[in-house]
Amino acid sequence: MTIYPMARASTFAMIGKFAVALVAVVVSQGILSFKFTVFGFFDLPLIFSVYYGFTLGNPVASIVIGSSLGLMQDSLSGAVLGANGLSKTIIGFFAATAGSKFAVDQQVTRILALFLFTIGDGLLVTILGLMVGPASGATYSGALGSWALSAMFNGLLGLVLFAYHDWHATT
Amino acid sequence: MSRIVSASNKPTWIALGIALALQTGLISFQARRRIDASFVRMWILDSLAPMEKLVDRSTYSFSYIWERYVALIGVHDENQRLSHQVDELQMELHRDREDLTELQRLRALLSLSPADMGKTVVARVIGRDPARSQTVTIDKGTAHGVRPDSAVITPEGVVGRVIHSSNFFSIVQLIVDSQSAVGVLLQSTRRQGIVRGTGGRELDLDYIDDDNDLKPGDAFLSSGLDRIYPKGLPVGVITSVGPRRGLLKTVEIKPSADLGRLEEVICVLEHPQSVEVADPAQGASSP
Repeated sequence: MTIYPMARASTFAMIGKFAVALVAVVVSQGILSFKFTVFGFFDLPLIFSVYYGFTLGNPVASIVIGSSLGLMQDSLSGAVLGANGLSKTIIGFFAATAGSKFAVDQQVTRILALFLFTIGDGLLVTILGLMVGPASGATYSGALGSWALSAMFNGLLGLVLFAYHDWHATT
Repeated sequence: MSRIVSASNKPTWIALGIALALQTGLISFQARRRIDASFVRMWILDSLAPMEKLVDRSTYSFSYIWERYVALIGVHDENQRLSHQVDELQMELHRDREDLTELQRLRALLSLSPADMGKTVVARVIGRDPARSQTVTIDKGTAHGVRPDSAVITPEGVVGRVIHSSNFFSIVQLIVDSQSAVGVLLQSTRRQGIVRGTGGRELDLDYIDDDNDLKPGDAFLSSGLDRIYPKGLPVGVITSVGPRRGLLKTVEIKPSADLGRLEEVICVLEHPQSVEVADPAQGASSP
């Protein structure tokens, strides 16, 4: 029997967290990225997919959240529908699996995980986009630099989010 | 991986399979273009757009309130401070303009060459006879060399003569005073005559050798024969020539100097034979 050590979230709590994640996606994609350039480097759906994967202790919920967030991200960003959905689904699954098998309460581990997930997400979305339609116009090397930058931003913001979670869990 | 794939994880694998199938199906539909999957995007967009709009309006309202109200705290005080600053600057500008005007007047006064004029002193008009306005008080007296019968002039022309002097002040009788007379010569024909004050703002021609060729616009200069005013200073310009009354025509003369706006004047301390006067309009010398 698999034991998920982090938490046993109630249905309402899960729905609430899901709503928060949804609003975060909307704000990130629709408002903040438009009004503040720096928010274009953050990938809140990815961060929340990893965050829920690490903390919920429920792989099914993590998969659903990741899949939904990615799909909404695709819808609002105009990207290939399903590309981010597929990527975030896989990220949610792996994050939940890693959270159940490994100690992910170390800051270095979280940063490394967010960094790798960001790079992997970028690669997968780009490949899927190229398979479906014409390239977006960004060069591959430029995309790599952008992914690295985004990975660092995601790692830093993820640290804040996890720090809040740790503080909330101890109080 | 073997631990992950276990019977108890069946829901996880099922959820993962469904999610991947759904996302892959969407991608596949878009790639092969067999089924239009845009309705999914439309549904999600229609669902999220109102929230996006709500957040946008909220942030806009917050920034609006912040910029229009919260950020304006202290603007009233700043406005008051700036208003006071504007008042002070306007007063300073006014003072500067006054100084500039005074500077221009003094420059015009200096255009009268002291070498030609003899010894002179610049005096400021500090008072005026409020009743008849035919005398003014200047701030120079005997201590500065000003004595009775000293001629008082401006670059525009003759003003009058000193009739009383104290140590530091003097009373100047203007040429328009009814008791004042100036020996003149007509600039165009060089005919000599005498003009007298009327008690008003004009001068009357009291005597001239021949008044047949007088016409409006002719200028009278001081002749120097009265031993008070240096020769060659502008005295006045004929404004009208009327019918003969007695021996002479009725001739009205407007003083060259603006006697109603005197501020600085020149007191001629010595009596030279003649002077080279400045053109009142140009500030340049003319014979």
